[in-house]
Order: sequence, then structure tokens, then C-alpha cells
Amino acid sequence: MLSLWLRRLSTDRIARLHKNSPPFHNAGRSERALVVAGKRGNAEVLIAIDDAAERLGLAPGLALAQARAMHPGIDAVPEDAEADAALLESIADWCLRYTPLVACDLPDSLLLDISGCAHLYSGERELVVDLSGRLADAGFAYSLTIAGTIGAAWAAAHYGEPASYAGGEELALLAPLPLSALRLPPATVSGLARVGLKRIGDIAGLPRAPLTARFGSEVLRQLDRALGHEQEPLTPRLPVAPYLAEQRFPEPIACEEDVLAITARLARRLQFALERRGDGARRIELTLFRTDGAVRRIAAGTSRPLRNPDDICALFVERLAALGDALDPGFGFDMARLSVIVAEPCPSEQIGIVGAEDAAELCRLVDRLSARLGARRVRRLMAQDSHIPELAEAGLPAQDVNGDAGWNAFRQYREQANLPPRPLRLLARPEPIEAVAEVPDGPPLRFRWRRALHEVIAAEGPERIEGAWWSEHGGPARDYFRVEDKSGLRFWLFRAGLYRDLAQGTAAPSWFLHGTFA
Amino acid sequence: MITELRRLLTLQQRPGLENRAAPLPLGIPAIDEVLGGGLLRGALHEIAALGEPHIAAAAGFALGLAGHHGKSTVFWIAEEMALAESGAPHGAGLDAIGLAPERLVMVSVAHRRDLLWAMEEALRSRAVCAVIGEMRGGRIDEVAVRRLSLSAADSGALGLLLRATPPNDASTAATRWIVGAALSVTSQCPGAPRFVVHLARNRYGPLGSWILEWSDSDERFILPTHAQPVAAPALNRSHRQVA
Repeated sequence: MLSLWLRRLSTDRIARLHKNSPPFHNAGRSERALVVAGKRGNAEVLIAIDDAAERLGLAPGLALAQARAMHPGIDAVPEDAEADAALLESIADWCLRYTPLVACDLPDSLLLDISGCAHLYSGERELVVDLSGRLADAGFAYSLTIAGTIGAAWAAAHYGEPASYAGGEELALLAPLPLSALRLPPATVSGLARVGLKRIGDIAGLPRAPLTARFGSEVLRQLDRALGHEQEPLTPRLPVAPYLAEQRFPEPIACEEDVLAITARLARRLQFALERRGDGARRIELTLFRTDGAVRRIAAGTSRPLRNPDDICALFVERLAALGDALDPGFGFDMARLSVIVAEPCPSEQIGIVGAEDAAELCRLVDRLSARLGARRVRRLMAQDSHIPELAEAGLPAQDVNGDAGWNAFRQYREQANLPPRPLRLLARPEPIEAVAEVPDGPPLRFRWRRALHEVIAAEGPERIEGAWWSEHGGPARDYFRVEDKSGLRFWLFRAGLYRDLAQGTAAPSWFLHGTFA
Repeated sequence: MITELRRLLTLQQRPGLENRAAPLPLGIPAIDEVLGGGLLRGALHEIAALGEPHIAAAAGFALGLAGHHGKSTVFWIAEEMALAESGAPHGAGLDAIGLAPERLVMVSVAHRRDLLWAMEEALRSRAVCAVIGEMRGGRIDEVAVRRLSLSAADSGALGLLLRATPPNDASTAATRWIVGAALSVTSQCPGAPRFVVHLARNRYGPLGSWILEWSDSDERFILPTHAQPVAAPALNRSHRQVA
């Protein structure tokens, strides 16, 4: 377990912003102390400070006014917790190059489960050297520790010597550290301090029952977790892919053809793994690590389990084409990873059956269109369990819809209920029209829609469709009419509300146009 | 016997290939004669609405042709603006024009460029029997139409370009139809879908104008006969009320 604490996340973020603007840089920016201030309660206090500010004797928690009085020359920047969190997430993404199990520990720490990954860098120490070298280049102050448990790694990173520790000697590592290193609430820590227990070593040998009785079970649980007597689960930021293949490049690659070529190579590697377990990919992600630390994640879905490298590659051809310049390779990518995020059993198919081949061809087409345009833009209509026309069907991504999509049930229902015809095209939102009806409950004589006047010569109806009376937002009952105007246009109109329901003095029900017939 | 087996083999490998070469007859002798046997498969046809309110009629005519053409999937690729303005296809109403809603895949695109790309991709695929591309307005590039025609020729699919207003630009499409809604009233009720259809351009023959009706029982277009009894039993639905 590797715990990475970015000690100066907020101030490093601001310093990085100004790094490239010469006026700041040249004006001796490094000499001026930088602090981040924000409101806590009613006071403006320091939230984060940089090294220069620390040398001046400032500390987080100090009132901003007081700090200014002590050192008028400091730069105070308002806090931006969202930007800090976004930066932490992008660093977490970047850390995916070391291990797929990366968890964010807000506000400024990361946890990396590197078990089984360190040998890729020929050892834990080499991995730490690589990681710390890159972090220092990017301008971050950090402190990192490797230990056998999350608790021990966290404690040592935040309170111990910034160095790498092997597992197995957690107690020796933890004993000299203060109790707050166990991630206990401040009240518990001060309570323990009042009885003279200040270091982890102080409580490690104590009888358990009295300690629990007085300070709650949290203290010993955290200690057990840190010492590895109790398991602590790591919650990775991103779901862990069941299959992945990756490739590092000695020279960064930048052009699209190279990216596609490497995707094809990785897809071929994945194919073997998928075939061995009889799986196919339903969702695939290509992660590209840029040399400057930015990470590009490009995902593509499929409509059936896929393992053919050519098919997988074809999806990314479209995804890259859709991204265009947004891919922005900068100075190039130095690592690529292809991961199958969702896998499903994929039955081996006999090649050459005509029906199956056509179905596969259709899936390929749907996948290609979805990859380029977005899965929500390629839809199949699905009948829904509702009698309200705009809710009676939904357009769902074609990749997810199989079978008859509920239409057989709908046809049966239509037969039984003897439903009147439905329009060919339905407006997403019924449009208000000005209508004149001969009798209050009858169809309109003429109506005006989109500024054009339509004289009704024939009408069929009403078909009464109740609103969702069980819901507050269900709306009134509607009387639908199918009408034809003088020029032969056929419309689906409705009157919202019934005259019999009208209370005295309210306005007459309004008319809407909802669809058009062929 | 060997030739017979070979014929069977090709049939197995490319289903419908033999039929695709032949034009698609509409089943109305007058129109089929003008078209030289029927609507050309593996080609692009333009269908324009008579005016903006007639878009539903034009769409109905296109869907009728598309559904009539085969049994496999139909793609309807439309610009988002067109769907917002004229309404999205309503599955419950598609049966009325002979297309089962399961057979339809809807694609909405943001740009004209994407529309042409998606149409081309869909037309190339052997799994698709017809592609309807709906564009809102404006001109269409002649090269693009030519590309679409070529892709359709590859697979034998029917390409239908649906336009909101009658265009006056030149086109390399095989035919251009201008479609509007026609009066359908029978016994004071709106009747079956009925269209007034002008064949405005035909690369292979003369032009013409007809009134067509979609016949639900025959599952094809027919020429409406006014000699029918006024209250035909098939149209006499019990729920119908005349106000």
C-alpha cells in the first residue's frame, strides 16, 4: 500500500498556474509567501500555506487579518476546494500508470495499492524513485510511504519520515507517531492526551477493554487496521477492469495512426485473455498517458460481447475521428492501456450462418455509429408501461436493446383495448394552439398552429386519456381528436382538462397539438 | 445439377442478392410502368414534402417504401433540428404504415456532415434494407449525393433522402418525389393515410402525378377507389364517434 500526501496541494496548484507567466516569475515570486484563505465560521483563516509562508512562522488556522498584520507582503488567494479536488483526481488518473487501484483520500492524499505491480518497475524502491521524480518535476511537494496497511502508510506519510518502508514492521514504524496519525477525531485525540496517551506506542500495549469502555471502539479499530489485524477495504476511484493490456513507449507517440496501431496490438493481447475465459467486451476504455501528466480516457461501448481485435479497433477509429483535435497529444503519449471495463460471456459462434452474420453486421454498424456520434444518438424505440402518449415509449441506446422491446405486448394491448390510431410523428412537447370548438366537448372547428390557420373538415374522437391522477404533476385528463383539415393534413389534437371538472370562474381548457399523421 | 447447386450456394451466401438487382415494384401498374418496373434498388431517391406541414406525409411515404422493401432493419437518420420541429417517429403509429417499430433504428445527428456520414455507413451495410435520411433544409452537396448513390449500389439497400421543402437544385438521385397529404375523409372521419405524389424527376423515364393510399390489409400503396361503399366494414371502428 502506498500513501501519497501532497502536502502543498492548494499552493502548488496556484504556483503551477503562474509558473509560465514571466512577470510573476521574474518578480521574485518565490520570495513572496503564498497562502490560501477561506471562511471558517465567521472568520477568514488560512487554509493552506506554502514553504515560504511556513518559514515566516505562519500556520493553517491562523486568521488572515493576523497573518497580514505579521507579514504584510504575503499573497493571499481565496480557496477553491473544487479546483483542488479536480487536481487531485487528475493526479489520481495519472497514478493509474502505476496500478489500477487508486483511491482519492480527500482533501489532499492518494492511496495506491501497488501489491503485485512494483515488479514492473523492478522493485518498490524503483517505483518510488520514478513516482517522486515525476512529482517533483511537476512541481508538487509530497510525502509518500509504502507500508503493509492503509493505516500505517497514511500515518507514516503524514507524520513520519518521508521515506519508503517495507511491510512487516508496522508497529515499530507507528510507535513514535502521534495519535492523530491513526485518523481519529480530534476530540478523541485530545481526550487521550489528557490521560497522558500521546503516541501510538502508548496505547499499543494497553489492556483493550478499559480503553474501549472509555474512548469507544474507534480507537482500537483504527489501531488494528493500521497494524493489519483488521482488513480495511480500499475503494478505488474507478472500477477495476477485469481485463487490461498496456504498453509503455520509450519515445512518446503523437499521431493518430500510431495510437490506432498500438490499440490494435493491445486488442490482440486482450483477445487471448478473453478467449481463455470465454468472455467478450461490452465496454472498452483506451487510456492514454501524456508525457506531461495529463490522461486521456476514451471509452467505447458495444452492442454484443466483442473480442475480435479488428472490431475493437474499428470502434476506436470512430471515437478518435469524433474527438478530432480534442485528443491533443501535446508532446506525445508515453503509455497506453486498453482495458475491458465490462465483460460478458460470449458464446463461440459458428462462422458462416447467414442469419447470425447479418445480426453481427448490424451490431458492427450500430457500434460504429454509437462510437462516433454517442450511444444516446443511436436509438431503438421501446414500448413502455404507460398510457400517457409521451411516456408510452422511449428511445433507448440501440446497443442496449434486444428482442422485441415490448412491442408484442403493446400490439396485444392495442388489440384488446381497440386503441384508435396513433400519429406517425409525435412532438416532444405538445404545442399550444388556438382552437375554436362548436360545442364545448367536441372537436375544434378551426385552429391556429405555428401561425397557420387550419379549417377542420373531419374529426374522430374523443379518445379520453386520463392524466396520472395519482401524482401531483400528473396533469389533467386529455380528450384526443384525430382531425383532418381542408388540405388533407391529419393532426392529433387534445383538449387538456374537461369542462365538467371546471370550477366556477376558471379559464376554459386549453388545446394542444401533439402529433401528425401520415 | 452442378449449376443448380451453384445457384443455391450463391443464394445462401448473399440472401436477396438476386432480388436486389430487380426493381422494387409498388404494385400499381401505372407507376411501375413509368419507373420501368418499379423503384430502383441500390439507389438514392429523394422524397420532398410539398411544404413544411406535409412532412409527416412525406415521412409516411418514405416509411411505406422502406418497410415494403425488405424484412430487415430500417435506419432513420435525422438532423436533431428536424426531430425537434416535426416530431420524432412514434412507434405506436409506425404499424399503420407497414413498419414494425422493432425494425427501426433511429439516429439523430447534430450536423449535416454527420448525417451524410451516418447515411453512407448505414447504406454500405448488408444488414440494412433501407436508410431514410431526413434533412431540415438548405442545399445538399452533389458529390455527397453521388457518394450515397454509390454506397447504396454496393449493398443494394434503398436510400431515401427526406427533405422538408421541394428542392429546385439539380440532383444525381435516381428519382425525386414531391409528396403531400391528400384528403382522405370517408363518412366524415379521417381515413387511411392518403398522399398526393408527384414524380418530379426520373432519370429513366417519364414523370407523373398520382393519389395513393396506404392499404393496411394489402400492406402496400394502392390507388384509392372512390367506388368503395361509404362505410367500409374494415374502417368501421366501434370506438369512433362523430361529433
